Amino acid sequence: MAGLELLSDQGYRVDGRRAGELRKIQARMGVFAQADGSAYIEQGNTKALAVVYGPHEIRGSRARALPDRALVNCQYSSATFSTGERKRRPHGDRKSCEMGLQLRQTFEAAILTQLHPRSQIDIYVQVLQADGGTYAACVNAATLAVLDAGVPMRDFVCACSAGFVDSTALADLSHVEEAAGGPQLALALLPASGQIALLEMDARLHEDHLESVLEAAARAARDVHTLLDRVVRQHVREASVLLGD
Amino acid sequence: MEGGVELRAPRGEVGRHPAAPRDGKLLSSDVTHYMIPDWKVVQDYLEILEFPELKGIIFMQTACQTLQHQRGRRQYNKLRHLLKDARHDCVLFANEFQQQCYHPRERGESMEKWQTRSIYRAAVWYYHHCQDKMPIVMVTEDEEAVQQYGSETEGVFVISFKNYLDNFWPDLKAAHELCDSILQSRRERENESQESHGKEYTEHLPLEVLEAGIKSGRYIQGVLNVNKHRAQIEAFVRLQGASCKDSGLVSDILVHGMKARNRSIHGDVVVVELLPKNEWKGRTAALCENDSDDKALGDPPSEPMPTGKVVGILQKNWRDYVVTFPSKEEVQSQGKNAQKILVTPWDNRIPKIRISTQQTEALQDFRVVVRIDSWESTSLYPNGHFVRVLGRIGDLEGEIATILVENSISVVPFSEAQMCEMPVNTPENPWKVSPEEERERKDLRETHLVFSIDPKGCEDVDDTLSVRTLANGNLELGVHIADVTHFVPPNSYIDIEARTRAITYYLADRRYDMLPSILSADLCSLLGGVDRYAVSVIWELDKTSYEIKTVWYGRTIIRSAYKLFYEAAQELLDGNFHIVDDIPEFRDLDEKSRQAKLEELVWAIGKLTEIARHIRAKRDRCGALELEGVEIRVQLDEKKNIHDLIPRQPLEVHETVAECMILANHWVAKKIWESFPHQALLRQHPPPQQEFFSELRECAKAKGFFIDTRSNKTLADSLDNANDPNDPIVNRLLRSMATQAMSNALYFSTGSCAEEEFHHYGLALDKYTHFTSPIRRYSDIVVHRLLMAAISKDKKMEIKDNLLSSKDLEELCRHINNRNRAAQHSQKQSMELFQCMYFKDKDPENEARCISDGVIYSIRTNGVLVFIPRFGIKGAAYLRNKDGLVISCGSDSRSEWKPGSLQRFQNKITSTTTGGESVTFHLFDHVTVRISAQASRCHSDTIRLEIISNKPYLIPDKELFHQSSLLLKSDLVKEVTRSVEEAQLAQEVKVNVIQEDYQKYCQTKGRSLYTLLEEIRDLALLDVSNSYGM
Repeated sequence: MAGLELLSDQGYRVDGRRAGELRKIQARMGVFAQADGSAYIEQGNTKALAVVYGPHEIRGSRARALPDRALVNCQYSSATFSTGERKRRPHGDRKSCEMGLQLRQTFEAAILTQLHPRSQIDIYVQVLQADGGTYAACVNAATLAVLDAGVPMRDFVCACSAGFVDSTALADLSHVEEAAGGPQLALALLPASGQIALLEMDARLHEDHLESVLEAAARAARDVHTLLDRVVRQHVREASVLLGD
Repeated sequence: MEGGVELRAPRGEVGRHPAAPRDGKLLSSDVTHYMIPDWKVVQDYLEILEFPELKGIIFMQTACQTLQHQRGRRQYNKLRHLLKDARHDCVLFANEFQQQCYHPRERGESMEKWQTRSIYRAAVWYYHHCQDKMPIVMVTEDEEAVQQYGSETEGVFVISFKNYLDNFWPDLKAAHELCDSILQSRRERENESQESHGKEYTEHLPLEVLEAGIKSGRYIQGVLNVNKHRAQIEAFVRLQGASCKDSGLVSDILVHGMKARNRSIHGDVVVVELLPKNEWKGRTAALCENDSDDKALGDPPSEPMPTGKVVGILQKNWRDYVVTFPSKEEVQSQGKNAQKILVTPWDNRIPKIRISTQQTEALQDFRVVVRIDSWESTSLYPNGHFVRVLGRIGDLEGEIATILVENSISVVPFSEAQMCEMPVNTPENPWKVSPEEERERKDLRETHLVFSIDPKGCEDVDDTLSVRTLANGNLELGVHIADVTHFVPPNSYIDIEARTRAITYYLADRRYDMLPSILSADLCSLLGGVDRYAVSVIWELDKTSYEIKTVWYGRTIIRSAYKLFYEAAQELLDGNFHIVDDIPEFRDLDEKSRQAKLEELVWAIGKLTEIARHIRAKRDRCGALELEGVEIRVQLDEKKNIHDLIPRQPLEVHETVAECMILANHWVAKKIWESFPHQALLRQHPPPQQEFFSELRECAKAKGFFIDTRSNKTLADSLDNANDPNDPIVNRLLRSMATQAMSNALYFSTGSCAEEEFHHYGLALDKYTHFTSPIRRYSDIVVHRLLMAAISKDKKMEIKDNLLSSKDLEELCRHINNRNRAAQHSQKQSMELFQCMYFKDKDPENEARCISDGVIYSIRTNGVLVFIPRFGIKGAAYLRNKDGLVISCGSDSRSEWKPGSLQRFQNKITSTTTGGESVTFHLFDHVTVRISAQASRCHSDTIRLEIISNKPYLIPDKELFHQSSLLLKSDLVKEVTRSVEEAQLAQEVKVNVIQEDYQKYCQTKGRSLYTLLEEIRDLALLDVSNSYGM
């Protein structure tokens, strides 16, 4: 990948975006009838589907029930055809376990779990196509699905990734940019309060640059919020029209 | 989508608003049309598009990307630089990112067709975008496209490149020639690939295989270095970084012969495969002349070293080459294919290049620039094309131009746009200190006694000093440096030009300034008695211990009271006040005020010296790691000119000034590093590799000295001890060897390497940078900007200028280092050129000047290396000539060639004739040599040394060269006035003036001594002719 120029001298990225620009986001809520809540999101070519069941009684071992709040159960999976290389991805491999845990952490911070003690909320996310920023797409899809299910939340959870190339922070990395091997940071934000639900980075980045990357990710997450908000309002409008009939 | 960002209103007139920020480039509006090259044109004719005369070029993103994919990184970087360079009137239009210009490729459409269509559509869009006001010319090589689109849109013309040049630039002859030459070489290449007969070289391996091979350790990556003296046979691959440790190899890898070198050229990054051990060869230790074959030497080569063959080239390092056409007879012998000519590069490390041209006859006696296009495996030599003519062979201007091109130095006069940015200072309209600046800067004009000490006749004074006693009894030391950055805003035209030049180039007889003379010799020069802006570093020192208590950095206004020269300052320091008459500042004063002022100045110089001595001693003590000896240190630090070893007069003031500058540099380095830990520009001097010292140790042993090279301190001490009371040259030679073994000091960005590597070996400082010569070095300008930003940062002010990121800075450092090296090489080569020209006009047999004393400093199997202190020449002298005869010295110690044999020992070489006479030469023996210039048609002339006696040469004025060169000069001046002879003498003076300049690193005045003497000569001749007339 040595020859690839992630940020041109004119400030364009490989796919023609500027450093702080997001990819095109399209989303739909209520895609499945049988689930309590569901949503589908496309961020550029990354596509994710989220389904929410609950709050309901604890399934399986009763011992897992928490006395003071609801249990958030997250499962992540990605389709065999989601990446360039076709590959069977069994449930419970390390990567999806980790992603599930991260999602759980994120949503435990956002959902008002203390309203539903001794119950369980299931969030299932599946990635249909992975083109960078899968975590962000999952969180955004799950947010919409949780909203669709009517589970009370503190705020939207909006996530976005950011990277650092040539001393510039890039928002919403695509697969090509991720594959180039630079540092990548994933941020889940509660936009109203500006609180961070999850922040994750596993590459080396000089601490002086951290602030600028964080800032880029936060700005992008706020932009995501504006878009998701629009989707939710649109959905509510459509639903109310249906109800009105 | 913000596609047309580069399309803001076209710029008004160039250079009108120099202060206006230019974050993106704008096309000028005063052209007749805009030109859009098709992808193929960008690929093939980029060199022509680089002509600054071609204005208003719009590069389409599609074309740029094709170039990147098809021609690789190098070409693409060239294009990138072109686009970045504010002097070229061209922009990039990201058409594929623009909604209306993006057209998806249709089914069945070939890639080429789609690219051309995209570019044409973008051109049409652009035309409408400019409100149909500016005609657009799309230039393509695709005939069909011309047919198809030619008349589709009014105002958008589609023509071929040749046609374009003919119609729009009929006068641009250079472009036409270049175009023809490119066309021809392309045609040749096509023909050739059809012929494709037997292969001369093995094919290079594909890139993936090479990369995998390097990773697995099977292949080794490195830079190819061709041996200058055996260019045909020997080349070495210097290992790079990691591969060196992995393979466990310590030395370089030998690549023996052209076949094994497999089409790689000096400087390329190559991948080599090691040969099995039984095929390893040794390097030749014998001296040999360039053109002579290796067959002549029957000597057994030294012990075998790792040998390999090139299997692939990772990065080609092709540049412009200066070549010479073969003479008429040679052309005839080349015979049948008269259009293809093998030309010989000036740099003999480069193989001959085959070019095709009809102008062979016309270019016969000229130095010519060519570029290499390709080197197929079927061809013995690379193919190239002719670019331009430099000048006649042997002509001074032509040869100097050759040196410049070979070092990739381009020096055009400053353009009008650049000069427009310059402040004005004429008698009618004198430059003044502006009130705003007066408010912002600390005013030292009344409070401080500021003075400068420089070589005599120096024009660009960039440093001044001050010292005074504070109210609390402490001392205050100040170093005030010219504030160049005030006049050179970042990214202004002049800044870009200065960055490209990076340094002021000093050639033997001329210099090429980095900044226009209005700055370098006037407004930035801290001359005496005028108000100037400065950047100051001011320390408060304890009154007794001279400990530094506080330091202040900032912009100031100063008025230098005295512009002293070294000798005068030294005299004042020594208490010899007769020199006062030579100082112009004292001339018009009455006795009393003069006495008072003199006392003040003498006190200041005295105090300064004392402080400097103290700081120096402290540095020696606590660091305790320093290379002793003023010469060596200065050479490493300021001059970097190891070639010149004539000791300058060791005045203490030199050291005082140098110490103050080192102190300022050191403190500024600390400051900018603290403020910007990973984007500061510092200077490092890595510790030398021990194995390079082996020759030095061997040589010293021959004289019974022991050199301890473990650390810089021990090295310095042992060099001090290695002093032969009978022969001062020995110590100088040892020191020069030590210097040669060391690596060069380099600029670097602190973001790019670990803190331990910041160390400066020569100066024994943990951090060092260059701050004190912003007029002559671009690095200092960068450091000034960093320091200014650091000051604003401290004051919590916004940093005005955008600082360079670590990556950009690293690139800049690489560029500056590279230019520094070019400056040194060009200086050395021009010096050699002058030496040769000097000896060329003489008859070596009778001319006394051609015979001189030399010292042997290295022994080879068939000769010795000799250093001639008188001229500072180093060269080889043979003990066996081409006919196989060896030297012998009779009883009168005159040498003769006789049949015999040579025997080489560690420290001596013995020549025994068949008659039984034998003569032995030891290391550091003095011999008499005859110097002559050996003319060469294709390369630079060389100096030839011949031992004519094994006894030292006793010249009547032997003590002359031991004395100061100043004396030597005045002596010569007398000589010139006495006998008004001919150019040789003037040249002799010239050479010496040059050496003098070299030593002190000062600049020749606009009217150099040489021109002055020339005038005297002319006058004298006139007188003579007049008297004849009467």
